[in-house]
Amino acid sequence: MSSESSQPISPEPNSPPSGEGIRRSLRTKRRFNVDAVLAGFTRLGALCIIGMLVALLAVLTIAAWPSITQYKARFLTSSQWRANSREVSVRDAAGHIVFDSDGEMTTKTVPPEFGAWPVIYGTTVSSILALLFAVPLSFGTALFLVRLCPRIIAGTVSFLIEFLAAIPSIAYGMWALFVLAPLLQHYVEPGLRHALSWMPWINRWLFVETQTVVGRTVSQEIPLTGNDMFCGGLVLAIMILPIITAISRDVLKGVPREQLEGTSALGATWWQSSREMLRYSRSGLFGAVMLGLARAAGETMAVTMVCGNNTQVRFSLFAPTQTMSSLLANEFAEANSDIHRAALAEVALILLVMSLLFNIIARWLVVDSSAHAAAH
Amino acid sequence: MPATRRHISPHYQRYLNAKSTVFQGLCVVFAAIVLAVFAFVAFYLFSQGIHHIGLAFFTEMPIPPGMAGAPGGMANALLGTLILIALAGVVGIPLGMLAGIYLAEYSSNSWLGAPVRFISDVLAGVPSIVVGILGYELLVVPMGHYNGYAGAAALAFIMIPIVARTTEEMLRLVPHSYREASIALGASKTRTILKVVIPAATGSLVTGVMLAIARIAGETAPLLFTALGSRLLTLNPANPFPSLTVQVFNYATGPYKDEQDLAWAGMLILIAIVFVLNLTVRFTTSRMQRERRGRAR
Repeated sequence: MSSESSQPISPEPNSPPSGEGIRRSLRTKRRFNVDAVLAGFTRLGALCIIGMLVALLAVLTIAAWPSITQYKARFLTSSQWRANSREVSVRDAAGHIVFDSDGEMTTKTVPPEFGAWPVIYGTTVSSILALLFAVPLSFGTALFLVRLCPRIIAGTVSFLIEFLAAIPSIAYGMWALFVLAPLLQHYVEPGLRHALSWMPWINRWLFVETQTVVGRTVSQEIPLTGNDMFCGGLVLAIMILPIITAISRDVLKGVPREQLEGTSALGATWWQSSREMLRYSRSGLFGAVMLGLARAAGETMAVTMVCGNNTQVRFSLFAPTQTMSSLLANEFAEANSDIHRAALAEVALILLVMSLLFNIIARWLVVDSSAHAAAH
Repeated sequence: MPATRRHISPHYQRYLNAKSTVFQGLCVVFAAIVLAVFAFVAFYLFSQGIHHIGLAFFTEMPIPPGMAGAPGGMANALLGTLILIALAGVVGIPLGMLAGIYLAEYSSNSWLGAPVRFISDVLAGVPSIVVGILGYELLVVPMGHYNGYAGAAALAFIMIPIVARTTEEMLRLVPHSYREASIALGASKTRTILKVVIPAATGSLVTGVMLAIARIAGETAPLLFTALGSRLLTLNPANPFPSLTVQVFNYATGPYKDEQDLAWAGMLILIAIVFVLNLTVRFTTSRMQRERRGRAR
């Protein structure tokens, strides 16, 4: 700074502040580097975030380790989820029960078997179902908001949709449990069954199950309870509508005006230029769909209340099911044995990896803020 | 690319126009369906909640079914949620803000910035039940029993990425001229951040924190096996801790009709809290935007 003198001079008490005096008094002597303190603390905060992700992955892997080593790849493909051991009667080569000398059945104990395929199937199918319902509705709403909505109400409608994304998921779950599920049970599903009854192969496909038990094939009508995969998919669709709509709307708003004007200059109709808008922003829209998928896969409370909680792979949409998150919500607090807890931790690990994957893919495609809530 | 034609016959043009009108109508119908579904859901929640809410909800403890005065109220759950949010905020808000300050002020000359930003976006999308399991493994197992600290920690885990990202964005909105003027006057970087930048962004930072609070106020899954829930009034977070969301979930999925009615009332309170917070955020944000535009002129 100034090159006149290197000795700090304190300004005289009653003199007006001179330029040199101000410069001197501002060059304070610091005993330590103050900047390093705040820089250190903030870097701590930043490392904390990285540490949180690492801790999440590490703790879940360690908690799931007993199950990983015991079941290995079988965990992902086996369809048996049984937390208790079973007594099964021993049969000989011909299939007859072996009786011991007292005339009683001999039994062997089958240990607990944990296979995550039913819940992986449940999560996948319910998420895809949710996307099937939600994506057309969301894109249509986003197009409406960007191109058709009168300016006066556009702000209110956008706020409403973003507020609806903030409503806790148990609210949707309760509504679905008390309103949607009975509606499906009493009106929609019997109506569908009746409407499709003139196409027996679809009816058989959707509403009837066949099982082969001890060599006999039994087919029965699935009892329609309203708590099934269909209801779970619908609730998930309602939950991911706001997110996909909000992000799609932002993405569509980012299409340059020149693009639209160019299509109009070429004589395009409204739908043709909207289609060009959608094509222009297809990576952003795909990212929005990915984010919706991530939320649908991780959604817990709403699905737990209406999915029927049956950990089996069943083909029909109208049969009860279980998703990974609902399995965790239902069983984790009551798991007695270490292996049960480890298996549940492994399911949580699979869910985490799936959700991280979807989120990472989505973030590559859509750069947006954290304002859009995630699954709870 | 669709094939381009030089000549489009009037018939084809009429067909294109008709198709366009049909799709326009479809978009309006879809938007109407979305709004109608949400209007129906909101109206139903509101009407059921209003029907069953009363002063007893806020003042009485839960009473077991069958006893006189059942089902009582949810005073312990309301208090529990407030305490859990406070505890989560004590940990989550400082850590989140520090990370946000790092991302906004210090990350431009460091390799750490981009990964932290990406990871905090990704963490904000982690299913909250997985966070609950993390809280269980880290805080419930060592302590030997479910406790409120684990629940608060799980909520803080969810809160930190949200607070970090909103803090970063709000600090980035402070004009660089503020920082440059402060440094030109000889202030250190610490003093610039603490005394100039943050006070300039205080309103926005508060709205970011309110958004995070609105989010964790509605979380149920992370509390299911960390704080577990309780029917007793307890102020000690070392015990299993009640919360509004878990209590509502338990009542709603339980078999008792009057407890289910109380769950509707609790749901209404929860939505009211979230609505008020979101409305405040929206209101202050628009007012600050108007002020900023006025100041720039």
